[in-house]
Amino acid sequence: MIKKFTLRIIYLGCMRFFLKLIVGVKYINKRVLKAQKQFILVGNHNSHLDAMALMASLNWKQLPDTHPIAAADYFGGTGIKARVSKFLINAILIKRSKDEAGEKPLDQMSKALSEGKSLILFPEGSRGEPEKMQEFHKGIGVLLTLYPHIPYIPVYISGLGKVLPKGERLLVPFDAYVTFGEASWVKSKEVESIVQEVHSEIIQLKDNFDKQYKPKKKDHA
Amino acid sequence: MNILDQIGFEQHKEVYSIIGVIIGILILATVIFYILGRLYPGEQTTELKRRTRSWWIMATIFITATVVHPIISFIAFGLLSFVALRELASISTNMRNEDRGVIIWCYLAIPVQYYLAYIGWFNLFIIFIPVLMFIWIPFILVVRGYTTRISSSMSILPTQLMFTVFSISHLAYLLSLPEIPNFNAGGRGLLLYVVFLTEMNDVFQFIWGKLFGRHKIIEKVSPNKTWEGFIGGLVSTIFMAYFLRFLTPFTAMESWFVGAIVGFAGFIGDIIVSAVKRDIGIKDTGSAIPGHGGILDRVDSLAITAPVFFYLVYNLHYA
Repeated sequence: MIKKFTLRIIYLGCMRFFLKLIVGVKYINKRVLKAQKQFILVGNHNSHLDAMALMASLNWKQLPDTHPIAAADYFGGTGIKARVSKFLINAILIKRSKDEAGEKPLDQMSKALSEGKSLILFPEGSRGEPEKMQEFHKGIGVLLTLYPHIPYIPVYISGLGKVLPKGERLLVPFDAYVTFGEASWVKSKEVESIVQEVHSEIIQLKDNFDKQYKPKKKDHA
Repeated sequence: MNILDQIGFEQHKEVYSIIGVIIGILILATVIFYILGRLYPGEQTTELKRRTRSWWIMATIFITATVVHPIISFIAFGLLSFVALRELASISTNMRNEDRGVIIWCYLAIPVQYYLAYIGWFNLFIIFIPVLMFIWIPFILVVRGYTTRISSSMSILPTQLMFTVFSISHLAYLLSLPEIPNFNAGGRGLLLYVVFLTEMNDVFQFIWGKLFGRHKIIEKVSPNKTWEGFIGGLVSTIFMAYFLRFLTPFTAMESWFVGAIVGFAGFIGDIIVSAVKRDIGIKDTGSAIPGHGGILDRVDSLAITAPVFFYLVYNLHYA
């Protein structure tokens, strides 16, 4: 109860305001979120702010039932960092590899989905170089074969990698854009091809975005 | 206490009557542009609609500040500078990754500049960015130690500060100008005057250009700008400057002169931003919703008219 309330205060009260006004995050096509009760948001990953920016786009009802997936080894298994990310980001911490007890990383996500929760996934795994996309991990494909009735929403995030890149502590406001694609249901049953499908949809969003907003690259040598 | 007394209606009759006029014009413009948008849907009518939307925001802030407390204007202009600077910094392709930490200093200059405007410390206000930040930014760049293409960053960052912070803060400083005898409208009147003239100059240049535009003025930068639009806009602005001079301490002669200067300065600001955008290769400088222009497109001409107008009125009547 308290957690739900704090989350709402943090994200709808402060975070959204902070991200929009100070950082300069702009949401494009946000209305797709409203139509869905349960969903998996799949985005590219460049910054610690990614998950927060997506959380701040959710509405009052969706917020407490949506969990970003984070790596346990990075955010610390039981330490203070883990507690903070569980409480403040509403994160589900997973281990990247099988642990001794044999619990697979996917089990926790699968459990959350079967409880009717929504997930925020960054299949690139790590944030990588600023503003560059990497290969996707397979987890998203496996999840979607298990739950083909849950729609996934591709998201392309641009600019946050400049606001707070990997390895930097100083947050510098720059315009950033979060573009939502249309909600879709998987067509294929193959893990590989689902991963491909999601990946290409995010690439598609990126291409459309670049065409409209991004300055053309020039040589200033 | 009477609400009219409380908001100082008697002392600022001019300002309140112009607020009434502005709301009237805004409603009229909204209706006309809405109908035009229905009749001729397209890029240019959308641009006009965007403009009216930003005028509504400006008018709301102005009226709130007039009725509640002037500090609201300073905060609003500070935010405007911040958003404009953020936009300019975000679209600049020739900024280096190492400049992140220095841009923070540029952002930090904004509250200082607006605080100086608020307390009315004129001597520091006019040198803080052009002299102190002009030295401080290159110094920080040097201290950070990346020398590759450092001269490019040394020129870009102070210029961005000048364009988005120094210039726009002059609009705020108008509100801190002292009272002078026989001139009741005060800083608020001057602020209204320059913003109104600048915006109308843009619109009139656009309309005259649409109606009679034949001869391109500077085709490589801004293909829509024509001599007919420029001169038509200039003349219209001079007339408006003359008829609205009750908002200012200007004599009739001075108002003709100021109108001409504001018209010309607005044109300069417009083509400067056009040229920058052309260099970077984008159409709008940033957007809230797809297809909607950014803040820089809204403040391009104001960024030049504001300081020019400020020093004109300052040297004519306050110095």
